Amino acid sequence: MIPITVTTILLSLAFLVGEWLSLSGLDSKKQGGDQPSFYAAVFLNRGHVSGGASSNIGLFRREVGDTTWRNIYHPNLFTFGIGFWQRGSTSRYYIAGGNGLHRSTDGGKSWRILTSWQTEEILSVALDPIDSSILYIATPFGVFKSTNEGKRWEKKMKGMEKWYVQQIIIDGKNHRTLYAVAEDDLYRSRDAGDQWVALGVGVPGILTVLQHPVDPSVLIVGTEDDGVRVSDDGGKTWKAGRGLPRTAFYALRSSPDGRTHYAGGYKSGLWKSGDMGGTWSLVWLAPEVEAILSIFVYPGNSQHLIIGTNGQGVYESLDGGRSWTNTGLKGAHVKQIELYP
Amino acid sequence: MGLVGAMKRSSVILCLILFPALFGVSQGQSSFEQRRLRLIDVISGERDKGFFTVTAKFLAGKDKEFALQMLDSLTTDESIGGMFYSYAAIGCYLTLHDQLPDSLNRKIRQAFRDRTMYRGDTENHWVMYYTGIYLAAQTWPNEDRSQWFNGKSSEENFEEAEGWLNQWIKITSTTGQGEFDSPTYFITFITPVLTLYEFAKDPVMKRKAQMMADLIFADFAVEHLKGNYCGGHSRDYPEDIINPLAAPAALWAWLYFGEPKLELWQETRFRPRHRGGWETVIGAISSYRLPDIIFQIATDRSKPYVHTETKRVRNVIRFGLEKNPPVFKYTYMTSHYALGSLQGGILQPIQQHTWDVTYVSDKPNNTIFTLHPFYSGKELAMFFPEEQKFLADEVDRYHKIYTNPNKWNSSSPYEQTFQHRNAIVILYSIGKDAMHPHIDGFFPKNLDERVEDTSGWIFCRAGATYVAFYPLKPYQWIEEDVNWRWRSKELKNGVVVEVGSLDEDGSFEQFKQRITKGKPEFKGFDKKLTVQYETRSGHHMKFTFNGERILNGKQVKLTDYRFFNGPFLQGDRRSGVIKMTYKDKVRALDFNTVSIKE
Repeated sequence: MIPITVTTILLSLAFLVGEWLSLSGLDSKKQGGDQPSFYAAVFLNRGHVSGGASSNIGLFRREVGDTTWRNIYHPNLFTFGIGFWQRGSTSRYYIAGGNGLHRSTDGGKSWRILTSWQTEEILSVALDPIDSSILYIATPFGVFKSTNEGKRWEKKMKGMEKWYVQQIIIDGKNHRTLYAVAEDDLYRSRDAGDQWVALGVGVPGILTVLQHPVDPSVLIVGTEDDGVRVSDDGGKTWKAGRGLPRTAFYALRSSPDGRTHYAGGYKSGLWKSGDMGGTWSLVWLAPEVEAILSIFVYPGNSQHLIIGTNGQGVYESLDGGRSWTNTGLKGAHVKQIELYP
Repeated sequence: MGLVGAMKRSSVILCLILFPALFGVSQGQSSFEQRRLRLIDVISGERDKGFFTVTAKFLAGKDKEFALQMLDSLTTDESIGGMFYSYAAIGCYLTLHDQLPDSLNRKIRQAFRDRTMYRGDTENHWVMYYTGIYLAAQTWPNEDRSQWFNGKSSEENFEEAEGWLNQWIKITSTTGQGEFDSPTYFITFITPVLTLYEFAKDPVMKRKAQMMADLIFADFAVEHLKGNYCGGHSRDYPEDIINPLAAPAALWAWLYFGEPKLELWQETRFRPRHRGGWETVIGAISSYRLPDIIFQIATDRSKPYVHTETKRVRNVIRFGLEKNPPVFKYTYMTSHYALGSLQGGILQPIQQHTWDVTYVSDKPNNTIFTLHPFYSGKELAMFFPEEQKFLADEVDRYHKIYTNPNKWNSSSPYEQTFQHRNAIVILYSIGKDAMHPHIDGFFPKNLDERVEDTSGWIFCRAGATYVAFYPLKPYQWIEEDVNWRWRSKELKNGVVVEVGSLDEDGSFEQFKQRITKGKPEFKGFDKKLTVQYETRSGHHMKFTFNGERILNGKQVKLTDYRFFNGPFLQGDRRSGVIKMTYKDKVRALDFNTVSIKE
């Protein structure tokens, strides 16, 4: 459902990583070395029963070039989203999950829950790219903000009509501008969450939002029944993405250079657009994949695509989507895939 | 372990076994001691791997080596974890740690460091999880963040768990449980609450746990009839809905209320399979004693009574206007049967049971009810954050029957009820796009009589209980294993039901004669969705789907319902005070002052 929870930061990061990979000569086919790894957020696995024996849910890591996903934190942890923040030698990994917002400051060796009982499931996390102490989380009961790296949380819902918030992202150019996917609309805050304004997408059931990595005035949203909607004026006007089926679209992703956009959803297959989301063409449709929940485009090699599904794990293509291979996490519902150091 | 340790250990066991005998118990409850010892004995002979069977084996001094093996396995298998594990593990530890080898005690401690204690996503999960965390943090204080699975220190864990438990106690004592009156999930509330009562060191929390146990049992008692948890339920499994004594709550009724008299675990007709982990052992070893007044409330059925109460819908996360809309519940109780209902609509996802008549019988399947088998992703998405397009399929993977057209549990936005004493009108206005456009009724095959009268009434007799059932629209009968499935495929639909008994009506023939003097008036129903009916007692009921409930010309406002209202249990919403009354006895739970007044 949430393909990119900390979209702007992560895209920026992915772009930088991609640049770094290109400059350093590393690409997705290279093996070994000090490479970043893929991280996958798995929130459910078919066969799982609450309280029963674990069936491989949680945060998984796979080294680039490797074929095995490894659970790097406790199994049995519903993981809706992940996030990463780095400046210099300081890094933070985040898990948005059923038990709360988890943070690791030692590369995933140990984790600490930063939230308490007041904030039920954490569906998405957004990290201020400048100030590591500022965190935002989306929850079924609203947006919460911390200005001290999770020691205290404040509910930030002024201007919002409904309390269910599925995703929150930070504008790529202005870290005080936020976008929140709420039950009734896409909302924007220009003051770091103090006040929210509905953008009036015009269709019910907004599921996810993507901001263009280069041009922040381009916003794309996935909806429950109406494909995707696109705005090229910062949310003032919206139009339907042409060519898409009228179904739910849970996953949106840009190539790091912003030239290509991908979308996937419920019985939709994978689609791409080369014109900022205006028109879309089908890349791949496989009957065994009921829903695409997440998409990842490898930095430095836009032919390398990875998708996370509901119950079929991860699929991967090295030829821009012409052929695909299931590359693990069978049975998993994969909400988000990222490449982190 | 030295002599002192061994003596201390023996004293603990002796106290657990004999402690209640030191207290005077009422005549009505005198056999409780025998039942609890019997239960410990039975459970100690079980082979099911679980903390409760381990506890029973140790307390009974039976199969200790095997119990140790089970405990070792439970604490070694790191794939097990979560809310069920959390409170059961610490409860077992606190009961037995003096008797366990240090290695096992360390393993239990390590479980709270090394494995995910997933807290879950619903009320019963959180009660179990936070009870476990509260007691674990209390047991191992002053330990730093590295010693806990969630990276929080002992103090942080304790503070969080205490905070959650306090707010749960507050909301439950002022607006009700979300997962209320569940014959199955009853165990997931009462067991952690008794564990908390047993081991909380803070006297205020201990007193709150005692009061919550009182409240949970009193809430059960007013709707209890010979082991059956009667009326509407927030959640229940279909096999328990059609066979009420199969529900886990019945075993707690046996232990605390002494009813039914049967040892249910030996009765395959009522308990075709064992579910759960013998949580009842926690009741058997607890020092909590059921107040005599609750026992009397649960068992005295000498006079029929009406009991109403309000609960709350579980947390609505989207597609709603309120986080916890109210639930209105009505129960009419007699010595032979109970007729009970919720107002209808979506009050709980998946497992709601909106109304039934449950009667006393020595046969299984002692209930009659109807439902619309509704399902939708949107219903589920009201309560769960996952994707609504495939949520129903996901739920089907776990609950197996969610999308099944023949299921016996369901909420439905197309079903509403209006009950007055022993009569109820159930109306259906099924949307054209509903996945299963029919309503079903459960009629056990073992009824003594089931007669379709030319008047349009269907009459049933089960022992001394009589049921009159009037379908508004055509229907068919489908024979199944233990029941006849009554099915009607009209979208605008309804049934009127009156229940009677030997005490109220004399013979079955007399009951039928009284009933056939009248019948529901529903002319133009498909347009107006209105039914009028005069009960055999002369009460006039008028009910319109999505409209008014009118009794004897006066509108019945569900919003006027008190928190609890009946001869045995009273209280106002948000007052925090719940009063039990029985004859000249009174017991008031005052959650504002955390005090009990008698």
